Amino acid sequence: MDHNIYLIGLNHKSAGVDIRERYALTNVEEFEAGLLDLGVREVMALSTCNRVEILVVCSEAITESEILTYWANKCSGSRSDLEPNTYCHKDLKAVNHLFRVACSLDSMIVGEPQILGQLKDSYRNAVEAGAARVIINRMLHKAFFVAKRVRTETSIASSAVSISYAAVELAKKIFGELKGQKAMLIGAGEMAELAATHLLNCGVEKIRIANRTLSNAQDLAKCMNGEAIPFESLYDYLSDTDIIISSTGAPHAVIKAKEMKKVIKKRKFRPMFFIDIAVPRDIDPDVNSLDNVYLYDIDDLKDVVEENMSQREDEAVKASSIVESETLSFGNWINSLDLQPTIVDLFNRSEGIAQAELAKTLKRLGDVDDKTKEALEFMALSIGKKILHEPVTFLKRRTEEEGAADRFVDLARRMFNLDNDTIPPDAHCKRKKPKD
Amino acid sequence: MTLFEFFQYVIIALYLMGMIFFIAGALKNSPIMGKLGNLCAIGGFALHSLDLLLAVTLYKGTVLTGGFFYFSLLGWSLILVYFGLWWKIRNTFFALTASPLALLLFVASLAAQSLKVTLPAHLAGLFIGLHIGTIFVSIALMAMAAGAGVAFIYLNNKIKTKANLTAFGKEMPSLNTFDRVNHWAIMIGFPLYTLGLAAGFLWARGTFTKMFSWDPKEIVTLLVWFLFAFLFHQRTIVGWRGKKPAILVIIVFVITMISLWGINFFIPTHHSFKA
Repeated sequence: MDHNIYLIGLNHKSAGVDIRERYALTNVEEFEAGLLDLGVREVMALSTCNRVEILVVCSEAITESEILTYWANKCSGSRSDLEPNTYCHKDLKAVNHLFRVACSLDSMIVGEPQILGQLKDSYRNAVEAGAARVIINRMLHKAFFVAKRVRTETSIASSAVSISYAAVELAKKIFGELKGQKAMLIGAGEMAELAATHLLNCGVEKIRIANRTLSNAQDLAKCMNGEAIPFESLYDYLSDTDIIISSTGAPHAVIKAKEMKKVIKKRKFRPMFFIDIAVPRDIDPDVNSLDNVYLYDIDDLKDVVEENMSQREDEAVKASSIVESETLSFGNWINSLDLQPTIVDLFNRSEGIAQAELAKTLKRLGDVDDKTKEALEFMALSIGKKILHEPVTFLKRRTEEEGAADRFVDLARRMFNLDNDTIPPDAHCKRKKPKD
Repeated sequence: MTLFEFFQYVIIALYLMGMIFFIAGALKNSPIMGKLGNLCAIGGFALHSLDLLLAVTLYKGTVLTGGFFYFSLLGWSLILVYFGLWWKIRNTFFALTASPLALLLFVASLAAQSLKVTLPAHLAGLFIGLHIGTIFVSIALMAMAAGAGVAFIYLNNKIKTKANLTAFGKEMPSLNTFDRVNHWAIMIGFPLYTLGLAAGFLWARGTFTKMFSWDPKEIVTLLVWFLFAFLFHQRTIVGWRGKKPAILVIIVFVITMISLWGINFFIPTHHSFKA
């Protein structure tokens, strides 16, 4: 192999947030251009809040430490400071790591889809800057393919793994489309706000905010494009609300089951979904026993998330085996790249011999019309190609075997003397000498 | 084997394949399986329609006295109602109710080739047009509502008890969708059932000179009508939704099935199927 693939990086597992912040790449294009100037053949850098990864294809002349030094200098840091927080994968291990990143197996939340989009953006930028060529192109396309395969063949991303997403998923299971539903936020905790934002993103028609301090409700309503309502008239609005997220600091239940019976009758038994994020709880647990009323508190949602997390871990095992097999298949392609020049040389050699022999034959034949000349040329070249077909297929198969590529490519070059080595006449004398 | 018989085996094969695809699609959460199921159901339904048309054309005079025709027609109505639902909500979930029942009814229709139904010829046109047609479509709607009801109770129970959903549960339509299907089926099914019943009583008046003759079938049908009417009233006036109408429609459907398979075969009645 006359090229090395390096993947050097740091992520949430290898480095703390201060290091990740310090060594994040602010200008990726400039960083990539600098590495190309340094002599690497191809480069692609990815910089997100949780990881910085530098994928490099270079000759043997460039080492991992040179890349690290360049990176540290670019971020005005020191190599000794950066190095302990990074990892470096070489060749197929680098390929494997990239595939794992693309499939979100290396993410903080396994299965989250965000990283694939970020990887695609980085790749697009590298292509536009001319920094990604044959190997990185193929590697990234393969990474996107593997990510798609993992998503299709496993259910790694099918379940919600955050409280707010779990709440939205449950709401969808009850109401189907959230478009046209009305939501209410009681109190204004951070997690409740997040859940409300997700609901709005999913098409909830209207959001009402009830808070003991009306001005706070009004401020929040302004941010969310919603409506602030007085806390005292909460029940008046409930009959026209489908999803309620509650997170007040009240010591007792804010919504009682007895009152809810009237509300549910008033809204003609249309379903209601309560999400109680407050501790102590805001909503009387008996509310869940009413028909068409569904109540989830913070512990219930945590349980849903934890169960989904463990399901994801099981799916991650399946995903890893897909990544392993795709890495091997990519390795075969890399090996076949090493074979490519040898195949070209073989065909050139065969064509050269065919042309030389054709010239001699034509000379012997004398006057030959163009049609016959063309037919003879076609035949000579075809014989050369067909003779090489089996050896080339043999070589291709051998390069798919681990560690066999170099040996067989070298053997083929020597057998056909593709490097035009001059062999001394007495090179094998000793071997030929019969034993006494 | 005659061409006619071969034709019927193809229909069975298509319905069976459709059912397998629908069930596998729901369990494996695979939309492609659902699509394949739909293709099989469309093929089976097209041939089934042709089969019914041929039966009517070839046995013009006797088709209405053949028990097989009624089972076949009921199975056909089920698939028709399923297609209506699929067109409305673009979900193959309701095929889980329609396809096994349609297959069962079609196979039963073949087994019931020798069964005869007593039918006064002079009223046959009216009888088939109103009584059978409306009753069968309303039974098909009832089946869909019952299927939606079972699914509603299952999903409702899972959500209420905070149990994690399996792959099957994750791909199920929402509770609202099941309730909507239940609503549509009752809103369309009850008036049709009423019309079918009225036509039946009018036919009875012409044939037996009295509308009601305490026939077991008539008693059970009236019981079903009262329950159906109660359900219709509670949904439209009181605003029942969710679990209660789901349970009631399942009860109504079970009684109807007992009436169809039990009374028609084993109890002496005007609607008896005689071998």
